[in-house]
Amino acid sequence: MSRFFIYIQKIYTTRYLWWNLALSDLRSKFRRSVLGMSWAVLQPLALTLLFTFVLGRIFDVNGSDYAPYVFSGIIVWEFIVSSANVGCHALLLAEGYIKQCTHPLAIYSLRIVCVALINLLLGFAGFILWVMLIKPGNIGWTWLSLLLSFPLIILLVWPLALITSFIGARFRDFSQLIVIVMQAVWYISPVFFQPEMFQRANISFLVDYNPIYHILNLIRMPTLYGEWPDMINLIYTVGTALVLWILAAILIIRQERKMIFYL
Amino acid sequence: MSNFIELKNVNLYYSCLAYRETSIKAFVCKLLGFKQRPKTEDVHALKNVSLKVNAGERVGLIGHNGAGKSTLLKTIASLYPITTGEVNVSGDIRALFELSLGFELEATGRENILYRGLLLGKKPHEMRELQQEIIDFADIGELIDYPIKTYSAGMMVRLAFAISTAVSGEILLLDEVIGAGDSDFMVKAKKRIYSLIDNAKILVLTSHDMSAIRNMCNRVVVVNHGEIVFDGGVENAIKEYAKLGQVAYHTEG
Repeated sequence: MSRFFIYIQKIYTTRYLWWNLALSDLRSKFRRSVLGMSWAVLQPLALTLLFTFVLGRIFDVNGSDYAPYVFSGIIVWEFIVSSANVGCHALLLAEGYIKQCTHPLAIYSLRIVCVALINLLLGFAGFILWVMLIKPGNIGWTWLSLLLSFPLIILLVWPLALITSFIGARFRDFSQLIVIVMQAVWYISPVFFQPEMFQRANISFLVDYNPIYHILNLIRMPTLYGEWPDMINLIYTVGTALVLWILAAILIIRQERKMIFYL
Repeated sequence: MSNFIELKNVNLYYSCLAYRETSIKAFVCKLLGFKQRPKTEDVHALKNVSLKVNAGERVGLIGHNGAGKSTLLKTIASLYPITTGEVNVSGDIRALFELSLGFELEATGRENILYRGLLLGKKPHEMRELQQEIIDFADIGELIDYPIKTYSAGMMVRLAFAISTAVSGEILLLDEVIGAGDSDFMVKAKKRIYSLIDNAKILVLTSHDMSAIRNMCNRVVVVNHGEIVFDGGVENAIKEYAKLGQVAYHTEG
C-alpha cells in the first residue's frame, strides 16, 4: 500500500514536468499555424457540418438539434481516441527521459491526456456557447453534474492511455491495431448516430452496453436536454474506469521497471 | 544522514524478450510452427555484484566495452530492475547519462532548458534563475530561441551538459561524460566537472581515459564480464586492467 502512495506522490511531485511537456506538445502542434488553437473548434465543427448535412438528410432529422448532438459527440470522442492512439507512442516519445530518470511512467501518458484534454475543453467552450445561444432554456442546475462528469471521464481516459502506452512500447504493431479498433468502436457508438437509429435497426444492444454511449450521455443530458444524467450512465462510466484502472495497475506493478528494456 | 551507495549480491538479467522479434509476423510464424531463429538467452549483465561506496569516495569504473560499467552505473541510479539482490542509495543522485537524449526537438533551446531542469527535479522558477547562466556556458548565442532540431550535434551535447551540470547533487554518476564537445568546450567542461565533483559527496564515473581516472578517483573498480574483478587503489587497478587486456590478447592471439 505504501508503494501505491509513493507512486501517487511521485506523480504529484513531477507535476511541473508533465504539465510543461503537455504545453510543449500543444505549442508544437500549433506552431506556424495561422488559426492556431481555434482548430480545436473548427475541426470538429467542419466534421459536424458534414455529418449533419449527409446523415441529417439520410435519416431525416432536424438539423438544428442534430448538429450540436454530433458536435458534442465528436469532441468527447476525439478526447478518448486521441488519448488512446497517441498514448501508444507516449513511452517511446519519452525514451530520453525514461533512460535518465526514474519518474513514474504514468506521467508520460498523463502528458498525452492533458494535451487531448485542453483540446476537449476548447471545443467544449465552443459547444457551451452554441447551446446557450440555441437552447437557453437548458441552462440550469443540471449543468453542475458536469463538474463530476469531467473528472470522471479524465479518470477513465488516463488509464486507457496508460495501458496503450505500455502495450505500444512492448509491441510496436499495437499502434496500427488500435487505430482500427477505435475506428470500429466509433461506428458502433452513438457519436454521430442517434440511439433511436440503433433502435430502429434492432441493434440497440450496441448502445445499451456501450460505455461510450454512457460517457457521452453524461455530457449530453444536461447540455442538450437540460436533464440530469441517468444513474446507469454514471454506473457504466465508473465501472469502465475501474476496470481500466485495474488493468493499468497490473501493468504498472508487473511491467513498469522492465519497460526500459523495450525502449 | 551520511550518503552511501550499497549493492548487495546484485544480479541483473537483460530480458531477452526485448531483443527477440516481437512483431505479429513472429507471432504468426510461431503459431504456424515455422522455423524460428535460435532462442536468445537472457543476458546475465551483472553477476553477483556487491559494492559499498561511502561518502568522500571518488570511484572510477574501468573495463572493456560491454564489460558492464554503464550497466553498473545505471543500476546504482535505480534505472534497471535487478533480478536479485539489493540496491540501497542514500542521497540525491545526479546522473549524466545519454546526454544528447531527452530533448523536445520541436521546442526551442530555452524551453528545453526548462523541461530538462524539471526532469531533474527543479521547479520552474529555479530554472528561470539558472537559465542565463546555462545559455552562457553552453555558448549557444541567439540560436537559443530556435527549435532544438536546428542545432548541430555538438551544440545539443553542450546544452545538455550545461543544463545537467547546473544542478549539483550529493551523488554524481558520470558515464563517459568527459570528452563531450570541441576542445574549447572541453576545457570549460572539465573545470565544471571538477567543481561538481568537489561539491558532490560521492562520485562514480566510467571512463577509458586513464589520466582522467588518475586525476579524479581515489578508488577504482575493474569490471569484466559483469563481475567486479578488482576493487582498490588506483595504480593497482590500472595494472590489473592492463593484465586483463593482455590475457584477452593472448587468448585471441
